[in-house]
Amino acid sequence: MSTREEKGRIELLQGTLDLLILRTLLLGPAHGHAIAKAIEFRSDDVLQVEQGSLYPALHRLIKRGWISVEDGTSENNRHAKFYRLTAKGRKQLAAETTKWEQLAGAIARILRATEERE
Amino acid sequence: MKRRAKQLLNDLDQEIREHIELATQENIDRGMTPTEARYAALRKFGNVTRVKEDAREVWSTVWLEQLGQDIRYTLRQLRKSPGFTAIAILTLALGVGANTAIFSLVNAVLLQHLPLRASNRLVVIWISNLKNGWSRIGPAGQDYLDWKDQAQSFEDLFLFEHGTGTVTGAGQPEQVSGLRVTTNFADFFGVRPLLGRYFRLDETSARHNLVVLCYAYWQRRYASSPSVLGQSMTLNGEVYTIIGVLPSDLATAFPVDVVVPFDNDWLKRADSDLGVFGRLRPNVTLQQASSEMNELIRRIAQQRPDRKDYGSVLVPLESARVEYIRPALLLLLVAVGCLLLIACANVANLLLSHAVGRQREIAARIALGAGLGRLTRQFLLESTLLALAGGISGLLLAFWTTYVLARFIPSRIPVPNAADYVSLPSIHISAPVLVFTLLISLLTGLLFGLLPVFQTLRFDVNAALKEAGRGSSSGPRGNRTRATLVIVESALAFVLVVGAGLMVQSFSRLLQTNPGFNSSHLLTLRIKLPNDAKDSPYKEPRRQAAIFQRFLTAVQAVPGVQSAAFTEIVPLSQDDMDMAQFVIQEEPPPPPGRHLASDFRDVTPDFFHTMGIPLVHGRVFTEHDNLNSPRVVLIDETFAQRFFRDQNPLGKHVQVSDSTRPPREIIGIVGAVLDTGLDQRPRPTIYLPSLQSPDQTMSLVVRTALPLSSILPAIKNAIWSVDKDQPIFNVRPMDQIISSVTSAQRVAFLTLVVFAFLALALAAVGIYGVTSYAVGQRIHEIGVRMALGAQRSDILRLVIFHGMKLVSVGVLIGLLASLLVTRLMIGLLFGVSATDPLTFAAVAFLLVCVALLACHIPARRASRVDPMVILRYE
Repeated sequence: MSTREEKGRIELLQGTLDLLILRTLLLGPAHGHAIAKAIEFRSDDVLQVEQGSLYPALHRLIKRGWISVEDGTSENNRHAKFYRLTAKGRKQLAAETTKWEQLAGAIARILRATEERE
Repeated sequence: MKRRAKQLLNDLDQEIREHIELATQENIDRGMTPTEARYAALRKFGNVTRVKEDAREVWSTVWLEQLGQDIRYTLRQLRKSPGFTAIAILTLALGVGANTAIFSLVNAVLLQHLPLRASNRLVVIWISNLKNGWSRIGPAGQDYLDWKDQAQSFEDLFLFEHGTGTVTGAGQPEQVSGLRVTTNFADFFGVRPLLGRYFRLDETSARHNLVVLCYAYWQRRYASSPSVLGQSMTLNGEVYTIIGVLPSDLATAFPVDVVVPFDNDWLKRADSDLGVFGRLRPNVTLQQASSEMNELIRRIAQQRPDRKDYGSVLVPLESARVEYIRPALLLLLVAVGCLLLIACANVANLLLSHAVGRQREIAARIALGAGLGRLTRQFLLESTLLALAGGISGLLLAFWTTYVLARFIPSRIPVPNAADYVSLPSIHISAPVLVFTLLISLLTGLLFGLLPVFQTLRFDVNAALKEAGRGSSSGPRGNRTRATLVIVESALAFVLVVGAGLMVQSFSRLLQTNPGFNSSHLLTLRIKLPNDAKDSPYKEPRRQAAIFQRFLTAVQAVPGVQSAAFTEIVPLSQDDMDMAQFVIQEEPPPPPGRHLASDFRDVTPDFFHTMGIPLVHGRVFTEHDNLNSPRVVLIDETFAQRFFRDQNPLGKHVQVSDSTRPPREIIGIVGAVLDTGLDQRPRPTIYLPSLQSPDQTMSLVVRTALPLSSILPAIKNAIWSVDKDQPIFNVRPMDQIISSVTSAQRVAFLTLVVFAFLALALAAVGIYGVTSYAVGQRIHEIGVRMALGAQRSDILRLVIFHGMKLVSVGVLIGLLASLLVTRLMIGLLFGVSATDPLTFAAVAFLLVCVALLACHIPARRASRVDPMVILRYE
């Protein structure tokens, strides 16, 4: 049986990944592999996500109505699923980004304060 | 799962394959060998199976799956301890089953509305004359006409009369019960016919001769044939046209065979004892209508002196129908509720012990991070599953019980002193009953499930794990809860057993009551001469007397008949009432406004001999007391005591008030008879020789040593040898009449006794369980005591004392509670006080004995403990 802390960690990771996916899709619809690559590329490979975990995250976002899915053709002319940010997703991204920046800012201030005292 | 989700998940395989191929291609482009490239892509992707599972979980409802897990887990737990599960389910089944059965009865009788328009605004209107001690009598036709003109509180009034009629023409002559109604019948009740039509408002003349059949009679006599409409039937020698059939759901409201309209002329002559219903205007209360009616009757009395000193009694129709039976039903409801609480207490106890046995497992799970929420859910799930299983078993039990109840409970329960019956609708498990069962099952589940949750989840995990090696203990709190449960159980059981004890005493006294006559080997049947028929040969009183005399002679000649007689009304039968005012000629008249009233009975000379009613003074009637000889009467002891006190009544004369009939000489005094019910007081009664006071309807009473069923055909044939068209009805042995008048008490008595036994058994099991558990917990202590030299008797005393201490507290509380609760029973008790000290003492004694027995078994086991074995385990 899973404990509460484990669940908490997973949720934190999920939340972050969700945010990254939404941010990526802000630039336009993309298929799964392209999203994974974009996240890695744009974070200068700092964020090493297991690429597979992308797909449950995409399903979760579809379920919440933040992204939609449509059929299309990939760069090598293969059938592929393209994910697109919905209006609701756009709003969510804005809200999450603000929250994330506040959190990051707060953590940064705390860390800096500690450094200064040292 | 939604279709979109299914589609996405189905496509996921393909999507993952594409993803990995793209990644492989990129790796190859970066210069890897194809094999390396593929492995690198797979590594980077991660566990494909897990990804798919995770994606699936996104769409599944997690709590539902967890619930499924929990249910499976709980079922596994319950299967692991089949004994515990079986006892818990059985206990609950008893509680829920009994409640369902009683509720189905209460639902059918008290909670169902009559299928009539605005049935909650229908009221029964009686008149009363408190100066004469008449609390409720039926009004006369003229009252109805006056009220209908003047009363403002009602939208409409309806008048009816119960009666019987003779149907001839096809097969054996048949006596049918009928309702004579005003022609606003259909509109007043807002009812539609199943077939045909009801009466039109203007069809109030006898020459129409219309009849509407009731459903059961239509089924029985006409095999539900739709072609009855327009057919004719011979009722009381007159030809009636069948115009309609009443639907089956009106059978409870109108339990008769046929309905015919009142004739307007007849209505004006109908002098008393009719039934009047009123439909209140929507905004008029019962009190307003009551005071208007009282005022109205006072005003009417200025023109009609016969209504002086009268008032009105208004009772809502729906409660009037059940007011006699309601206290008994409410009592049963309380009793069965007690039983359910005892069952709950028992199962809570079981669950508590069971949970304590699992404390180590629970402690381990909490230590491993199980959430309290989930544990609580599991406990509640366990109790709910048990409750539902108990509920379903209880339902099966209730099906069976209602089947038995339906055979036991008569469909009509006579109302004492009213010549009336309460009709009980058929009892069955209906939708509201099922909902009730589901609700009480869930409620009990919650009730007995929460207790162990609070107990178990509050304990110290560390302590439990540490102690686990030594078996577990639940600490003082758990013991206190268990003790409370035992106290509650004993108290509730005490209340129930006291109730049953009082009922047993009351019922046995009722059956031992001497009704004033010898009730064994007595057969009764009723004969009504077809006088209403135009060509009846018996219109003349002399002829009525003569034909009954011929019937009697024929019956007396039947071999096996010891004696036979006719009477206007069979004692206890509730068939009819005949009450009248009279004056005693030799006494000064009573003050104005006061009347002397007595029951009147017309009987043939052999009546007293046949019934075994003793003659106290004077003589009984002979065949010479006929229309040619001086008028005579007999009075009963009650009459003599009330109206003559210490004077000698013999030779005095009584005369019926307002009548031109001559005064009658009192020639004897006979023993008093309980005419209206075994639990009623005898009423002053005047007997008249039927030869001097002929009737249209008489009951035959026959005393015989033969089995009643074997002699009945001969008696019927004897009557038909005199007149082959004479219907015979209401054939009943006296035993059946007596069991009918005691049926309300018998139902309450039987049910309460059964409940009391169940309560006692459950309480015993509960006390046994707790004592056993306590012994298990103290087994070390007992071992040590014995090792230190305690005797077996010491141990026995120790354990029994512990259990009995709780039971005594319970009995004390139960005693106090009973003093309050048994008040509910006062109306049902006969010859025993609701706080009868003997019953209370006996019940306390019984309960203590049962508890002693329940404590004794574990106590003996404790005293047989081998201290060496116990201490070795330390």
